Amino acid sequence: MHQINVGEDLRERNREIAAENHEMLRRHGVFSLNIMSAPGAGKTSLLVKSIPLLKDKYRIGVIEGDLQTTRDAERVGALGIEVHQIQTGGVCHLDAAMVHSALHQLDLDLLDILLIENVGNLVCPAEFDLGVDARVMLLSITEGDDKPKKYPLMFTESRLLILNKVDLIEMVDFDIARARREAMDINPRIEIIELSCRSGAGIEEWTGWIEKLYSESGVE
Amino acid sequence: MHEVSVMSNLLEIVTATADREGAGTIDVIHLRIGEMAGINFDSLEFAFEILSKGTKAEGGRLEYERVALMGRCSACSSEFHPEDLVFRCPECGSGGVEISAGREMEVDYILLDEEGS
Ligand SMILES: Nc1nc2c(ncn2[C@@H]2O[C@H](COP(=O)(O)OP(=O)(O)OP(=O)(O)O)[C@@H](O)[C@H]2O)c(=O)[nH]1
Ligand SMILES: [Mg+2]
Ligand SMILES: [Zn+2]
Repeated sequence: MHQINVGEDLRERNREIAAENHEMLRRHGVFSLNIMSAPGAGKTSLLVKSIPLLKDKYRIGVIEGDLQTTRDAERVGALGIEVHQIQTGGVCHLDAAMVHSALHQLDLDLLDILLIENVGNLVCPAEFDLGVDARVMLLSITEGDDKPKKYPLMFTESRLLILNKVDLIEMVDFDIARARREAMDINPRIEIIELSCRSGAGIEEWTGWIEKLYSESGVE
Repeated sequence: MHEVSVMSNLLEIVTATADREGAGTIDVIHLRIGEMAGINFDSLEFAFEILSKGTKAEGGRLEYERVALMGRCSACSSEFHPEDLVFRCPECGSGGVEISAGREMEVDYILLDEEGS
């Protein structure tokens, strides 16, 4: 028996493809976001609420990652924008290769902003870089304020945390100050927006955040 | 279950290495998994049992060591273990902390059987 040192990261292949995706999106002047959360935190609702505020100014495209169904793609497609569906067939996250083939099927020259809704899962999507400009996560206040310390990885990877469903604050036992504090323990640079897809509170702060990053990214 | 996609990637790496070395079988695959890596070793082992069938790794053993979580301060360069996941430098208070260890998900080494070479 002899020992061979390998020293290879199991995410390396994904990283290479993510870098290709990033280069490809940049070449076509597309700014992109990867939107992640546990199932049902409100990713699709957020897209449906905010795209109407952006679509007159920017050409928006969406990639919908879903385990099985096309329901979310239909909800977003009803807004009259380009939607590409990825059915992962049981895989708990999108990876760079799935997004890569989707990018080849979209006409990137016709887009300014690409929004990617990841599969609903609070852990796995965080390990798979897709090659986007920034990652955004949603935590709905019905999930519990202990989530940052229980599932730290996604908080580490996200540039923005959206606390969604704040319209339900009277109904649930969720300490917003604690969630903010613990998210910032894990990632002191994370930005936080409190929002409700139901009441519309915070939606303009979110679209403003996208516009700010879009202009800072230098895509044209 | 991303352990399945991670495992197919892993098997590609180790079988290519075994081929290159002219080895017959892979007896041990030793992994390094960070405290904060988003992967579950039991699911990985389960995926290994299934996916290694018919490869040079079939019948081999998957083992791993945990790598402790460490942060490095970008301001003063001190290294520390973030107690209770607080990524703030205990020396200078800066929030500019990078994770320097604890996210590993890698094949460290493999043990090959000479037979077949
Ligand atoms: N009260 C309240 N309900 C909301 C809010 N946002 C979303 N919901 C509801 O939460 C449920 C899930 O919302 P979705 O937008 O489908 O969540 P998702 O994250 O896309 O879900 P998956 O794609 O299945 O992971 C739906 O019933 C929404 O109507 C909110 O701000 N307030
Ligand atoms: Mg959805
Ligand atoms: Zn410091």
